[in-house]
Amino acid sequence: MTAKTLQRKLGILGLAMLVGASACTVTGVGVGYDGEADYVGGFYEPYGYDYGGWGHGYRVGPPRGGDHGPGPGRGGGHPYRSAPPGRSMPSIPGRPRGR
Amino acid sequence: MVSRSRGPLAFLPRGVLVFLLAASATAPASAAFELPPIGSTTGTEHHAGKVVWADLVTPDLAAAERFYGGLFGWTFQDVHAGKTDYAVALLAGQPVGGLLQRPVPAGEHRQSAWLTFLSVSDVDAARRTALGHGAKSVSDPKTYAGRGRQAVLSDPEGAVFAVLASASGDPPDYLAEPGEWIWSALLARDAGRSAAFYQTLFGYDVFEGPSDDGAEHLVLSSDDYARASVNTLPGGSARRHPHWLNFIRVDDATEAADKAVALGGRILVEPHEDRHGGKSAVIADPAGAPIGLMEWSASQSKVEPK
Repeated sequence: MTAKTLQRKLGILGLAMLVGASACTVTGVGVGYDGEADYVGGFYEPYGYDYGGWGHGYRVGPPRGGDHGPGPGRGGGHPYRSAPPGRSMPSIPGRPRGR
Repeated sequence: MVSRSRGPLAFLPRGVLVFLLAASATAPASAAFELPPIGSTTGTEHHAGKVVWADLVTPDLAAAERFYGGLFGWTFQDVHAGKTDYAVALLAGQPVGGLLQRPVPAGEHRQSAWLTFLSVSDVDAARRTALGHGAKSVSDPKTYAGRGRQAVLSDPEGAVFAVLASASGDPPDYLAEPGEWIWSALLARDAGRSAAFYQTLFGYDVFEGPSDDGAEHLVLSSDDYARASVNTLPGGSARRHPHWLNFIRVDDATEAADKAVALGGRILVEPHEDRHGGKSAVIADPAGAPIGLMEWSASQSKVEPK
């Protein structure tokens, strides 16, 4: 292999590396969400939320201050630590903005 | 005779070399994605476990802007960088959330959704704790100028959420105005286990709510404020996937639900009396993303924080 041929091959290799590095920087490969995004704050969920079954008593809203159970977990035997007995269930913030 | 090397790219014209080097050097700047702070206030306070932001992922940003603008009076500040089309939703000039346009992955049937962001002071530490307790990483932590550092995770049941250490601190605790987020609910297969996971992560106090329907309804609190509920997914659902659901405060849930339908959305759960005495409903936007509507009168809140 002549020195000229070697130089040419090294040149092609260098060019390929340069272009490759440039492409990775532009698309964010390896650093972003989905391998292409500039922003990592969106996620498509698995299809199919089912909102059936929200019958009487199925309430997900916030409590008013002072609400109490009893719920099924009261009395222990559940995987979380219950708030101490006697503490009122808190509500959402009630102070209007700017006061 | 000593030969002098001319370098590996010596065969290229000098102009081509200059172009390649310039393109390489400018690529990072063109990909930079900068976001405004999540609130108008500046501070260092973090309310661990507070829902401080939400991002919608949607295939049609313009359609989403028409829907949410018409329903809640939001306006939008567009942010474009690289491949990302994003808009910050504003209510009376205050940021309330983000809308991200992204195509549905090819060949997949996926659900457009709002992603819930919970406050932490240290994203990496929270992520380590979550991963050590059964969570999975959805996207690695990333820092955005203005916004802060954030990462996306799925909890042990697969419900996806994000953690955010806001660069400007968290918004103070005040009663949400109509058009702002007022409440969040996690719908889970095992409410107790899910509550334990989030309690480990955010240090919540967990309260048991009334259970008229046999399902478990738990309330997560921090700073002596209720932050979110964890609810057993309703029984009898053929397709059930654990997920977070966020509620916007509205003056009239029935009117808002009707308006949503007129704007191209649909009703998933009809307006009904909820625990707090006001009505709530669940709707889907034109792309199918669920969002809650909730009435709340000022007299229903605890006015004085302890």
